[in-house]
Amino acid sequence: MKIFIFSALLSTLFLAACSNSSSTANQEAATQGTDTNTSAIQAEKKEAAPADGIINGYLKLKNALVADDDKAAAEAGKVMTKAMAAFDKSALSTEQVKIYADIEDGVKEHAEHIGDNVGNIHHQREHFESLSQDIYDLAKAMGTGQKLYFDHCPMYNDSKGANWLSETKEIRNPYLGKSMPDCGSVKEEIN
Amino acid sequence: MKRTKVVLLTLFALFLIIQLIRPVRNESGQAPETDMSNIYQMPESVRGIFKKACYDCHSDHTEYPWYADVQPMGWWLADHIRKGKEELNFNRFGTYSIRKQKSKLKSIAGSLADNSMPLSSYTLIHKNAKLSLDEKKLVLDWLTKTRDSISLNK
Repeated sequence: MKIFIFSALLSTLFLAACSNSSSTANQEAATQGTDTNTSAIQAEKKEAAPADGIINGYLKLKNALVADDDKAAAEAGKVMTKAMAAFDKSALSTEQVKIYADIEDGVKEHAEHIGDNVGNIHHQREHFESLSQDIYDLAKAMGTGQKLYFDHCPMYNDSKGANWLSETKEIRNPYLGKSMPDCGSVKEEIN
Repeated sequence: MKRTKVVLLTLFALFLIIQLIRPVRNESGQAPETDMSNIYQMPESVRGIFKKACYDCHSDHTEYPWYADVQPMGWWLADHIRKGKEELNFNRFGTYSIRKQKSKLKSIAGSLADNSMPLSSYTLIHKNAKLSLDEKKLVLDWLTKTRDSISLNK
């Protein structure tokens, strides 16, 4: 009987030790495995710009929020996370590298939070607002493979207002969604 | 009868064994230069509120409750604190990029405003971590003011 107890204890000790090490191994595997299937996100364009993959993910997210679709928004957040991981810094100028470094952390974090917040579209939109500023700066610094419109909605967040980027000239509001789809105006065009 | 006794004994022995696996404590001493209060003008009152309501999970120094010595509670706390610090660490606020600082100030305000922070599971035990309406207003005003003072156009 004593032997039985002793062996039970020993095995649990081993198990406890194993579970600790395996969780870190999993994390490493997860961070290494991000390079796969990201090329599929990169839309093929004539004059591709370095940040197109990230911007396309952002536009996907924006369109999900326009449709009040929290699940699609979370999906798009995950697409952005992958695009960030696949981003190629090698062709950037020194100035662009600096700007990217400044933006990188924030964009990753916003994309992650949006990906994790199915069922809380209000929170997704909060992050989307900060993210929009980052992506605007990114597009200005790196150029864009398609024409973008920088839009402003004066009503969001108790009339503090907020901005977003769109691929269409027509206003489709991602902050108010279906409740006020056409609130806002184009402030700037980015070519 | 004999079997139940064995099972109980085994369980108790297990409980004793797991007490030996103790997570490293999150206690590194005094507030560093990169603490938020050293980066921005912060009234003592605001600092006190952050300290009592947020620092246990969002700084490098946790005031541990007694049950942190009892496993698996201690493990659960350690994991909780690790995640909290990853999200936001008041002690290291100065190491964030200006852009990230700005967005963190916004997120702090947002989570206080919608009551998602401090966690209800935390305020259940730490009654004084629950912010009164006045405290909340004080902190939110400070956050807004501070955030508006940061300009990204360098």
